[in-house]
Amino acid sequence: MAKIIIKDIGKRYANGFEALKGVSAEIAAGSFTVILGPSGAGKSTLLRTINGLETPTAGSIQIGEQVVTQNNLREVRSQVGMVFQHFNLVDRLSVMTNVLTGRLSHRSWLGSLLYLFRRTDLDLAHDALIRVGLTEKAWNRADKLSGGQQQRVGIARALAQQPRVILADEPVASLDPVASEEIMGLLREICTRDGITVVVNLHQVELAKRFADRIIGLNDGLVVYDGPASGLDRVTLSRIYSRNGDQVDEQLETMLAYA
Amino acid sequence: MAEQIIERPALPKKPFNPTSVWLSGWLALIWLIIFDLELSFETLLYGVQDIFEYFSRYSRPNFEDLSRYVELLGQTLATALWGSTLAIVVAVLLAPFAARNLSPNAVTYRIARELLNFMRAMPDLLLALIFVAALGLGPLPGALALGVHTAGFLGKFFAESLERVDNGIYEAVTATGASRIQLVMYAGWPSIQREALGYMLYIFDRNVRMAAVLGLVGAGGIGLALHDTLRMFNYDQSAALIVVILVTILTIDYLSTWIRGKLN
Amino acid sequence: MSNSKLCWPTPNGRPGLVPTLSLLACILLLAVSATAVELDLGRIVTAIPRMLAFAGNLLVLPDWEYLPILAKNILQTIEMTFLATSIALVISLPLGILAAKNTSPHPAVFHATRNLLSLMRALPELVWALVFVSAVGLGPLPGIMALSFVTVGFMGKFFAESIEVVDQRQVEGVVAQGASWLQLRTFAHFPQAFPDFVGTVMYVLDHNLRAAAILGLVGAGGIGYDLVMAMRMFDYDRLLPIALSIYIVVTLLDRASDHFRMRMI
Repeated sequence: MAKIIIKDIGKRYANGFEALKGVSAEIAAGSFTVILGPSGAGKSTLLRTINGLETPTAGSIQIGEQVVTQNNLREVRSQVGMVFQHFNLVDRLSVMTNVLTGRLSHRSWLGSLLYLFRRTDLDLAHDALIRVGLTEKAWNRADKLSGGQQQRVGIARALAQQPRVILADEPVASLDPVASEEIMGLLREICTRDGITVVVNLHQVELAKRFADRIIGLNDGLVVYDGPASGLDRVTLSRIYSRNGDQVDEQLETMLAYA
Repeated sequence: MAEQIIERPALPKKPFNPTSVWLSGWLALIWLIIFDLELSFETLLYGVQDIFEYFSRYSRPNFEDLSRYVELLGQTLATALWGSTLAIVVAVLLAPFAARNLSPNAVTYRIARELLNFMRAMPDLLLALIFVAALGLGPLPGALALGVHTAGFLGKFFAESLERVDNGIYEAVTATGASRIQLVMYAGWPSIQREALGYMLYIFDRNVRMAAVLGLVGAGGIGLALHDTLRMFNYDQSAALIVVILVTILTIDYLSTWIRGKLN
Repeated sequence: MSNSKLCWPTPNGRPGLVPTLSLLACILLLAVSATAVELDLGRIVTAIPRMLAFAGNLLVLPDWEYLPILAKNILQTIEMTFLATSIALVISLPLGILAAKNTSPHPAVFHATRNLLSLMRALPELVWALVFVSAVGLGPLPGIMALSFVTVGFMGKFFAESIEVVDQRQVEGVVAQGASWLQLRTFAHFPQAFPDFVGTVMYVLDHNLRAAAILGLVGAGGIGYDLVMAMRMFDYDRLLPIALSIYIVVTLLDRASDHFRMRMI
């Protein structure tokens, strides 16, 4: 529904570490993009700059027609759903309330003080729970659910926002293979059916190949591959996963043999 | 669209949320209490009006007697120090008995726990009253009262920390054939060292505060002076005393926060 | 040199420098302050018979006619505790949010609130009760005012500390939804810190009950006045029931709060 334009994004943390060294990409509306790379490559940082959880030190982000600035963060975030590796649900609230937090940007401060929502919000949350198949868990406490179920709540929370974009930061890294498959399938289905732009960080090459329209390979804060999943051969993979300066990396060879 | 409505699985019945009951019960109770204590907002409002005028009387602290205040303050601090030391000694001796996993048997555990509970339940000013009656006026009964009361607190804190220590540590030391005392000395105390130091600082902090009012029952320190000046409506000197107490307590508060920060 | 000689588990077998010095410092401090507390073992020993006599005096039948008044005053003490804690709770919640590093709107606000809170809890309830009694007169009102005032200082600080240890990831989960400043406080920080809040409230109730029991000493309501009078007049047939009822109420609340905290987690 909305395209994302990433222009020369750089990010240097206060401790001097440079996570992103000028990344540019244009992500088409309604596409399913996977960002691939080793840990520490800057995948997370890149994703988090898109909805302003991190402020880039250089470059700009544009979602649809809107440029992300410090002043329109709430508005941007209300259109961008985010799914996290550790689910980041509020443990002590019910599944329903967690999903309803996706509606917070549309509610006033006074209502939020009393935990009040509108009927339309409840309907949207209900629909989102139907989509992820968790209606009967609606009133359970979030931390009582299994990992896979919690991640589905996370997706329902993103859906309740009626977002134009969904960002998923390592959504299956804390899940078992069956649940991983389920979550990736769900994200893919949302992308295809609702036309929501989905960007997913992954480190599993195999999952990326199967689900992605397009893959962006990131290494050491730079884009080293940008193209279709079919273009991922051994050479590109070793470029994505190579560690700084190493020409021949035995472990990498072994890893790629299994990829 | 119509299909979707038919297929739509309904939410399960929402479980009853007791928050509203708790809240209304709480409000009702407060209303009942206000009614029963015959508190009227009118008095409060008049009171508040008076309070500002009243507080303005404290605006000219008189530090003429500062040297006497400092001496009394020294006595107060000494009382707190001795009270805390007494509390630490008693608590260290009792805590292992009051920890479920270290106590030799259920009976000693119960006795130690009840003893600590009893010491904690007796307000220190009540204890100070009793000790003053027995020992005569002066800071000594105050130190004893603080010691007995806070030993109850410290003992409970220590015992709970000892119970929280990872059972594996106890098992490892027991497996070497260590005796119970050795278990306490080599697995118990070293594991809770930091926590225990934090609690001791907290207790000392608290005892300084309380030592400042023990004078009200004749147990020495700066409290008696404050009581007397307030009774004689001597606002200037009361203000000076309050400032002295306040500065001391705040200094100790910041110091102990700083030390606790270092400990972590 | 015999190998059975005792030694410490340090490189040279002697006690470490830091522990030795700190122990010496402690002993020195205690020795210096001993004169200030008029420490005299003889005095304590000679007081033992008097203590025993005092304990013996307590073993009398209670003054039955006094019991209804006792019940009324104990109830008043409990009511003061509850009301003061409730008032303090309502004031401490917003102050706690302002005094927590991660929820305060500005570092300046954080420091200002923190300092205000330490100022409020610096002086004991009894000092404030003295002041308030001379301001608004005798009765439970000054006692409640004094208790609430000091309690805000403690509770605000404890609340702030529980908010500061809230899991940042869960907060971020709500931030990403585009929640506002206040919505974050109510939907992320508050539910997460709630069990700690309950623990704090129970602890403070416990503390306040004990404090309320002695506020009567300066005429600020509750059972304290009767306690002091019984003590001064040697009314042993009243003293024991008063002390006993304080003990029972405090213990009951203690048990209840332990139970509550267990269930909350």
